[in-house]
Amino acid sequence: MAKTKPMAAAAAGEKKKSKGKKKGKNGPAKVAMKARGAAAAAEERSNPFEAIWSRRKFDVLGKKRKGEEQRVSRSRSEAIRKRENTLLKEFEESAKSSVFHDRRIGERDDTLPEFDKAILRQQRERLAKLKRESKYNLPDDDDDEINVHSMLSEKDDFDEEVPFDDESDEEGKMVLSKKRLSLQGGDRPSETDLPQETHQGHKSKKEVMMEIISKSKFYKAQKAKEREEDEHLVDKLDSNFASLAQTQALLSLTESAKVKVNKSDSSAGLTGKEIFTKAKSDTYEKLVKEMVMDQRARPSDRTKTPEEIAKEEKERLEKLEEERQKRMLGTADSSDEDDDNEDDDHMKLDNSKPISGDDLGDSFTDDSIRKKKGWVDEIYEKEGRKLGDDAAASNDEESDDEHADDDESDDEEDDDDGEQDSSDNDFGNMSARDWEQSDNDEVDVGDNEMEDFHEKEQEISGKVMKKDAQNLKKESNVKTQVKDSGVPFVIDAPNNLKDLSSLLDGRSETEIIEIISRIRTCNSIRLAAENRRKMQVFYGVLLQYFAVLATQTPVKFKIINTLVKPLIEMSGETPYFAAICARERLIHTRTRLCEDIKVPGKNSWPNLKTLLLLRVWSLTFPCSDFRHVVATPMLLLMCEYLMRCPIQSGRDVAVGSFLCSMVLVATKESKKFCPEAIAFLQSLLVTSLKGKVGTHLHNQINDQFMELKTLKPWLSIREQVHEVNPVNILEIMGMDPDAPYFSSDDFKAGVLLSVAECLRGFVIIHEELSSFPEIFLPISSLLQEILDKSEVSGLLRDIFHEVIDLIKKRSDEHHASREPLQMRKKLPEPIKQLNPKFEENYIKGLDYDPDRDRAQRKKMNKRLKSEKKGAARELRKDNHFLYAVKEKERIKQEQEKAEQLGKNLAFLQEQESAFKSGQLGKGKGRKRRR
Amino acid sequence: MGRPYAVKGRKKKRKLEEAATSDAAPPAEEAEELPPPEEAGGEDKGEEGEGVAREEEEHAAVEGLPVVPRPVDGKRRPGAIFVLERACLEVGKVGKTMQILNSDDHANYLRKQNRNPADYRPDIIHQALLAIFDSPLTKAGRLQAVYVRTEKGVLFEIKPYVRMPRTFKRFCGLMSQLLQKLSITAVGKREKLLNVVKNPVTRYLPVGARKVGLSFSAEKSVNLFDYVAKSSDDEPLVFVVGAMAHGKIDKEYTDDYIQICNYPLSAACCLNRICSALEQKWNIQ
Repeated sequence: MAKTKPMAAAAAGEKKKSKGKKKGKNGPAKVAMKARGAAAAAEERSNPFEAIWSRRKFDVLGKKRKGEEQRVSRSRSEAIRKRENTLLKEFEESAKSSVFHDRRIGERDDTLPEFDKAILRQQRERLAKLKRESKYNLPDDDDDEINVHSMLSEKDDFDEEVPFDDESDEEGKMVLSKKRLSLQGGDRPSETDLPQETHQGHKSKKEVMMEIISKSKFYKAQKAKEREEDEHLVDKLDSNFASLAQTQALLSLTESAKVKVNKSDSSAGLTGKEIFTKAKSDTYEKLVKEMVMDQRARPSDRTKTPEEIAKEEKERLEKLEEERQKRMLGTADSSDEDDDNEDDDHMKLDNSKPISGDDLGDSFTDDSIRKKKGWVDEIYEKEGRKLGDDAAASNDEESDDEHADDDESDDEEDDDDGEQDSSDNDFGNMSARDWEQSDNDEVDVGDNEMEDFHEKEQEISGKVMKKDAQNLKKESNVKTQVKDSGVPFVIDAPNNLKDLSSLLDGRSETEIIEIISRIRTCNSIRLAAENRRKMQVFYGVLLQYFAVLATQTPVKFKIINTLVKPLIEMSGETPYFAAICARERLIHTRTRLCEDIKVPGKNSWPNLKTLLLLRVWSLTFPCSDFRHVVATPMLLLMCEYLMRCPIQSGRDVAVGSFLCSMVLVATKESKKFCPEAIAFLQSLLVTSLKGKVGTHLHNQINDQFMELKTLKPWLSIREQVHEVNPVNILEIMGMDPDAPYFSSDDFKAGVLLSVAECLRGFVIIHEELSSFPEIFLPISSLLQEILDKSEVSGLLRDIFHEVIDLIKKRSDEHHASREPLQMRKKLPEPIKQLNPKFEENYIKGLDYDPDRDRAQRKKMNKRLKSEKKGAARELRKDNHFLYAVKEKERIKQEQEKAEQLGKNLAFLQEQESAFKSGQLGKGKGRKRRR
Repeated sequence: MGRPYAVKGRKKKRKLEEAATSDAAPPAEEAEELPPPEEAGGEDKGEEGEGVAREEEEHAAVEGLPVVPRPVDGKRRPGAIFVLERACLEVGKVGKTMQILNSDDHANYLRKQNRNPADYRPDIIHQALLAIFDSPLTKAGRLQAVYVRTEKGVLFEIKPYVRMPRTFKRFCGLMSQLLQKLSITAVGKREKLLNVVKNPVTRYLPVGARKVGLSFSAEKSVNLFDYVAKSSDDEPLVFVVGAMAHGKIDKEYTDDYIQICNYPLSAACCLNRICSALEQKWNIQ
């Protein structure tokens, strides 16, 4: 109750304003805002509770505070005031049956002063009058005039009123302005067409048409006039510019521009336009002319496919062969006559002069012809030389090139011829036999019975040889001719060894290479499908020839060497077939090894042919592959040799060490570990110790075949060797196993050198192995013992030391890097971590539910709930308010009642007391009396 | 309002069912091993209890029950509590969004608001929290709780098994959401990982805990490794470290106020040292 008093005072201050609260929603807030400025001070003074403002707890930087603060007590009092104006009134009027509503114009708006309200009312009145007039009065010119006049006069009377109108009432103003427009329309016909039309709605059609025509005419005239003006302007501009161009200033400018374009025209009289166009056109034309002179790009030849290249090569060779044939026969020229004039001449010359080999060098021919025949001459020269050779080697029908270019076995040249014969005969025989069977012969060859065997062979094949020779002659249609004259250009791939040997025997290396390359180009796989088959056969034959060459006693290493390259290349062309060949051969060699080993005392080490084949294959096939159809069995075979073959002679030692080096080469890339090779090297080292191996060493060396290999101290050096020469395996293979060279210290030192080198290679390869120390430390101690006990020369000593150091270093490293075994430990389990759920740009009040529908629903629910709460609160507060009002009334009533009651009681009591005192009646009298 | 995704009762029911279906022994043990968290006594069970606890853990893993480390383990094995004082985490309204203010991105804004940009360094608390939550100490489950009190006086608790955002931007997002929403839940779970709580922090620290304040300005200079090694496992250790750029922490509620290095250390470095000292003490590798 204490609050209400000052509040009532405040309400009195703004009684008028509070009236309008019913109208707008934000009415109270607005009012509050406005009131704050003016009446806040007084109010706050009057009610100290309303001066308390509630603040935000946390001051957020950058957040605007305006409009956020709440004044709880103030808003409460505002609410009460609002209820007083609305609810209380309703409550008061609820019991009344008749209500007075003030519905006069302007009475709704509280802000209007009384005077404005009066004006509004008057306006409305006039408008209504106007409307009624226009409604019932038909349009009459006179009437209109009168009306206008009257209106104007009236308007004059209310002159001050109009501005008021504008400010106060929108409606009235709009109507009035419309009126004014329509009224004034008649006075200004040139303003717009629309009002005109509306005004003179009753025009005849003719008039309208006339009007339109006149209008269009007017527009046309206007357009023409404009165009004329434009032209005038342009002309004026042009003339201006011309005069300007003649002035000095612009001239200098244009001059500089011209210099830039490399134009040196003196065009002082030209107008600017012309100058510009000329400069432009000149550069352009120049460019165009230049471009005309340019050559056009032409398409280049397309790159050829390998097939095409091969074909071209073949065609070239065929053409050459044809020419050669022609030259040789000297008959086919007529067909070529129309082809080539020069050729013709040359052929004619050929014809006219039958050429002999001797003749050619001296023959007189034209320079042109000579030039042409340059290479022919060479060939003929060669042939001439060969003819001479032939003469020297009387009975050898196949031309022999030994003299010309073979220098490897010069010492035994005399024997060569004889043996050559026999070997050639061998070929003849062997070609008839199975290729594989040739091995048996070679075994014999290896068994020191070469001479005997050859003699026998000669006897046996004596007859055959002649027959073969005849055969060869017979069958050689082209080839014999070729052989006579030189190397043919087009050669069919030979199908068997006989053909090939007849083709190749006695040729020089260069010729052999040439022949093979020609065979390969002529029968290139790319040319035809069936060539593949041919080439496969040829490859087999060539390999056979290669093997056979290795079995000859003075081995022609140069020829063998020349054969290696084509073999490798061809196996690249027919890889599958080459692999099959090699595998077959390997299998055969292995079975023979198994058989040989069973026979005690028989030399089972590989012969030179096998060694060479192994070498070729190791070059041909990739040894570094993890698993390869040829390389893997080859390596296994080599290891088997090393492991199983007993050492019976010094030659075996050499062969073994050679095999070891081959294994080293084969395993170098892939770093495969071959224990056989290392064990063999170890046993070789043991043999150098004269059998006196220390016990501790003996324990270390764990090789069950050791006894097999260390029968004799093959490598124990007796004296100091000053010069260590590497052993030549090729020489050794030709030697007798019991030759004294094998027991010489020179040989031993050489073998030891190669063994040491080999060991070093293995050490370097296997340095990564984790078991390196276990493998190589015994060898290292063995080497140390050799160094201690036997006399080893300087170079060997150095190498031994080097190997020992290397092994020591590596094994030390390995020992250092080794870790002791650990118990398997259980890793502790880390605690499971949880990810917090948050948004990067969190906005408060936003629902981050991924389900939109649910979020929407939630939002609506929330709103509904808050609305419901708000409504309930309002109702509750209304109730409280009403209750308070009613209570107040009731108390008032009760008070009144009590007062009345008190009064009545007092009256009664007075009467009673009077009655009791017996003054009733008397008293009156007495009073009256008094 | 609070439970939009699931009904609480169902889960409880399921748990009860599971407890009923599993064999009789474990529930009894569980009941035994789940003392109220404030209870400080009963640590002398020691080693033989740990084995049981591990067995329990395995059992829980097999059953597919929550693998969250339970307070039981923390009770059995002594743990550490960190309180980071005066963290520079202040949310400001930049443009239209609320962001954690930092001196790099909001330098001009802060100057406009008459603040010193050098004071706004939320990266310190980020690094400090990463140092704590990445340490083997935490991975081994020895961290009990982390409390952070901002410069403005807002105190929040971080559960020890939270995976803190690695990037600063994400960290700022997390912190701004925390300061506005007052709690952060786990992904896919209802559990509150970060929660704003009422001051002061001492009401959350276990009874008998040894509260150690670290400051360069402290007069008592100690070797942290020795200091930690000497402390008994019976009283949990509470380290109070400042996460501000300048100034020092108040030593009102700390039992001890020490200096561990002759050089002023960054918060992250200091926490690393503490963690490694504790790891050494408890043999965590």
